[in-house]
Amino acid sequence: MTTMSAAFLSGPAERLRASVVGIANGRRGRRAAGGAAIAWSGDLFVTSAHVVTASHATIVTPDGRAVLGEVVRRDAERDIAVVRAPEAGVPAAVASDPYALRSGSLIFAVGHPFGVRDAVSVGVLQAVSPLPRGYGLNGKGSLVWVQADVRLAPGNSGGPLADAQGRVIGVAAMVVSGVALAVPAPDVERFLSGLT
Amino acid sequence: MTDDRTTLAMLSEQLADAAATAGAALVAVHARPRLPSTGVHWKDGVVVTTEATIRREDDIKVTLPDGRHIPATLAGRDRGTDLAVLRIASGSLPVATLGDPATLRPGHLVLALARLDAGGPRAAFGAVSATGGKWRCWKGGEIDSWLQSDLDIYPGFGGGPLVDATGRIHGVNSGGLSRALATTIPVATVNRVMTQLLERGYVARGWIGAAMQAVRLDPATQQRLKREGGLLLLSVEPDAPASRAELLVGDIVVAIDGKDVDGFDQLLDMLGGDVVGKKLKLEVVRAGQPVSVDVVIDQRPRGAR
Repeated sequence: MTTMSAAFLSGPAERLRASVVGIANGRRGRRAAGGAAIAWSGDLFVTSAHVVTASHATIVTPDGRAVLGEVVRRDAERDIAVVRAPEAGVPAAVASDPYALRSGSLIFAVGHPFGVRDAVSVGVLQAVSPLPRGYGLNGKGSLVWVQADVRLAPGNSGGPLADAQGRVIGVAAMVVSGVALAVPAPDVERFLSGLT
Repeated sequence: MTDDRTTLAMLSEQLADAAATAGAALVAVHARPRLPSTGVHWKDGVVVTTEATIRREDDIKVTLPDGRHIPATLAGRDRGTDLAVLRIASGSLPVATLGDPATLRPGHLVLALARLDAGGPRAAFGAVSATGGKWRCWKGGEIDSWLQSDLDIYPGFGGGPLVDATGRIHGVNSGGLSRALATTIPVATVNRVMTQLLERGYVARGWIGAAMQAVRLDPATQQRLKREGGLLLLSVEPDAPASRAELLVGDIVVAIDGKDVDGFDQLLDMLGGDVVGKKLKLEVVRAGQPVSVDVVIDQRPRGAR
């Protein structure tokens, strides 16, 4: 118990941070800033479509190397993209089902808000559902989102929302009416199908 | 490592349990365009929400946790404390389990909850920031204790409960009561205002019918009467308790029922309680001389400021 109060989410956060990379459009150096991406499986990285709008992207690994990746799949509507970067060598994160969590469950985000690398923010899950009526999102409200009370900022896009064990439940996409929205992990898995 | 993971998972489960327990007593209140607000089923057949979220008084519906929509009628609203009370059919959903806000200290984990649709309750998470005694909000109502948290009150969270880690409800969150801060109207205030709203549809507040300003007495009078200041009458409304008691513009009220008065807070405190119809003895300085005047307190006309 005492271990938990002091360490809180530092253990799961440390494990997850090893699987989160920085990402920016095109061929850039290792100071490339932009959004975040998650090492999902093998040499595939998942990020937000609005972060990678070109055919290639530069990935900056947790140990500071800049490697080139190719955008192999992109869905602007669902705001999700897949980047293949064989030279990255970053361990894959573990995904989990957000539908298994209830409102109030502890969650955390890892990203690069305002360029701060691998920053952690903590909150709770609100819902996994379409947005409530009255939260404006130009029609995208009918998509299912992981909705959370957690602070996100520019630079968190494409980074993970994770459960208390550090398992990825969604890919951070945007903030609407103050609520953090992420693409649910099962949608990401479906989006990846056929890619190896 | 394993212990660390287990306790974190337990904390997460406990928070989700708290949200589920308290969430069972929450409804979505449809009384404004677009976005519903949240209501707490405070006692059987009675739902409490925030007054500012009630934009229409007729055709109000609530969404129950099981997704059913049922009609609700407005029993009353009190702008001063930002509370409104609705009646719904008895036995529609579980009744809220209330906590004692006096047990909350700064740093305690709390959740703000909302129900906006047929889905589950929504949660925001944070800590108690500050607690304190009785205060009067800018809308004029008296709040029994100060309870502020660092929670984000998202759209639709107004009227929802502040919940502790065991799922007990400590009050109703208001986004509009103290501007930028998440402020909770504590259980005691909700109970007090709810009782009045159920009985007569509004909160009766005492009324004198005179405009006043706090002043200091001149030094000679101060010394003679052993008082420093009082409330100077600037105007007296016709057909009001002050005019019926023949109070005059220029009178300075220095004490009410034996208690010194030199500011508005004391006056508002005297008029805030159950005083309508009661006779108060005002000590007044009139043309430099102490005079005693009895005033029968009336009810503030509805709609008066």
